[in-house]
Amino acid sequence: MESHWLSLFDVTINFDQSHLFFPRIVTWVLVILLALILLSRYRRVIPALKHTGRVLAGREGEFDHKRFFGTLVLTTGYFYLMSVLSDVFPNTGYSFLIMSVVFILLLSLLYVDHLTRRLFVIILLNALIAPTLAWYVLAQLFRITLP
Amino acid sequence: MDILSHLTPMFFGLIAAGTLVGIIFGAIPGMTATMAVAVCLPLTYALGLESGIALLLGLYVGGISGGMVPAVLLNIPGTPSSITTTFDGYPMAKRGEGERALKVGIVASIFGGLFSAAVLFFFAPVLADFAIKFSYVEKFLIILLALTVIASLCSNMLMGIFSGVLGVWLSLIGTYSITNGGNGEPRLMFDFMEYYLIDGFSLLPVLIGIFGLTTVLLDAEKGFKDETGQGPIKLKGGARFSFGIFKGQQINLVRSSGIGTFVGMLPGVGGSAASVLAYSQEKNFSRDSSQMGKGAPQGIVASESSNNALTGGALVPLLSLGIPGDSTTAILIGAFTLQGIQVGPLFIGNNMDTWYLMIIALVAANFLMFGIMYFAIRYIAKVIEVPKFILYPLIIMMCVVGAYAINYGIMFDVWTLLIFGVFGYVAHKIGLEVVPLIIGFILGNSAEVYFVKSIESYGNLTIFFTKSPIAVLLWALIAVSVAFAIYLRVCNRRQPIVES
Repeated sequence: MESHWLSLFDVTINFDQSHLFFPRIVTWVLVILLALILLSRYRRVIPALKHTGRVLAGREGEFDHKRFFGTLVLTTGYFYLMSVLSDVFPNTGYSFLIMSVVFILLLSLLYVDHLTRRLFVIILLNALIAPTLAWYVLAQLFRITLP
Repeated sequence: MDILSHLTPMFFGLIAAGTLVGIIFGAIPGMTATMAVAVCLPLTYALGLESGIALLLGLYVGGISGGMVPAVLLNIPGTPSSITTTFDGYPMAKRGEGERALKVGIVASIFGGLFSAAVLFFFAPVLADFAIKFSYVEKFLIILLALTVIASLCSNMLMGIFSGVLGVWLSLIGTYSITNGGNGEPRLMFDFMEYYLIDGFSLLPVLIGIFGLTTVLLDAEKGFKDETGQGPIKLKGGARFSFGIFKGQQINLVRSSGIGTFVGMLPGVGGSAASVLAYSQEKNFSRDSSQMGKGAPQGIVASESSNNALTGGALVPLLSLGIPGDSTTAILIGAFTLQGIQVGPLFIGNNMDTWYLMIIALVAANFLMFGIMYFAIRYIAKVIEVPKFILYPLIIMMCVVGAYAINYGIMFDVWTLLIFGVFGYVAHKIGLEVVPLIIGFILGNSAEVYFVKSIESYGNLTIFFTKSPIAVLLWALIAVSVAFAIYLRVCNRRQPIVES
């Protein structure tokens, strides 16, 4: 009787399908938890989505669109162009060096509040020196692979 | 002894450099010890294991300690674990005792750090010896316990559990590794993704994205505004610091360090919980707590000794069970993997020299932190004035290096950094808990292997309850952790832990 009861919990794993066994369990747990969260918070979900929409549209709250989306665009561009340029200068780290100078200069200019001549010189020097130093120490001294 | 050959000026120089850089990171609001370790990780690629560990542990200790600087001078905790330092540190700074407050914090920090290093030294090998006897069933239950503890102590338990399970799910993307006994088939992705995701997402680009790029995006959204609305308080003469201030604080020091070490051992609970718990205990048990919250040194002692005690505590589960105690040790696990070392119950026994070097590095980092901060606090305090338009572009650049070099030059790892940087931002906005997610991600693959192998070996689900007395004990601990979390929540509704 006892062994019959325990046999209800018998599980065999087919080796060909074993890669899906645990992920299926985790996915079901995830779906159930998501349903529980939505059920317990459904009253707050729609207003929160509307609020997010208003914030992104700039009609509510303090959201610095220029700096936030500027960061995303510059970072994506930085990664993409670095990847393109690394085909031109393979295994030298020049792609990293060139694009980092441009990226740091542009991102610093995006972030600075009141640009003065003095600040511009500081930003320019930072954009030139920091990537060069990083490239020299990492790629030349430590022989670390750079794009 | 071979170990002595590693104790070179270079070894201690790297600890000092790591500690200094960590202090600087910790001192800048918004930048944490985790970020310091993530950003400086590429430097360890070219160093050996011992030198890399020296640098990373210095960063860890420095990063946690540096958080007290903005907490005292700006009323903003530099790291989450220095939240309660603001309660008494800032009022002291406002009345001209900023330097005194910082030095109280520095002395408390070294005490907490050394206390936890001692606990780590004596306790981790014992725990590892015990854990060696675990079968797959107990190993799976340990992971389940870790995720339950993390999730149950999150601000929202349901979201905590969801985040942990989501982390596990993300870790399963890729092929079911043949080296783990799998069939080598891909899962949880579309066909066109197989070229990039055949081995799943690499751990370090994921961590660097979530702890590096996400922080930049969150600050960019706010437009880098000064949150205090006023500049930092300058360090002036004021009342001078003397060690006499610690008279009568021995119990506070030991209790807070003990709390910090214990909380550090609980996976993913976080430094803010340790400092809040230590602070509230001091408030409840001290003879005179009337001045706490108004500028009492005892509050800083409780907060700083507990948060520095996290460092040794968080390394206990990492080195004995292979489970990271917090987000920074999660990155350390990546650094170990990079050096070909697998942390877990066998780590200490198989790597005795590395183990002793880690303890030496941890103790040295605490002494160096004390030396650097105690004698140069006036200069370190100026770090909080470094503008973020200079720092953040450099951080993204270093994130790129870390992500690209991890697998010796794969551009997809850089895109992973961006994907998870944005994902971390969205997760923050919708209330997902990042720490359970990360720990779920780290432990997901092991959980699968242990779970599947347990079933393949025994063929019955009841084995998870009946395998051994340890399995029963682990289930009891899982139940206790959930019950304790519910109890805490009920207590918190009735009376906030810290009224400040």
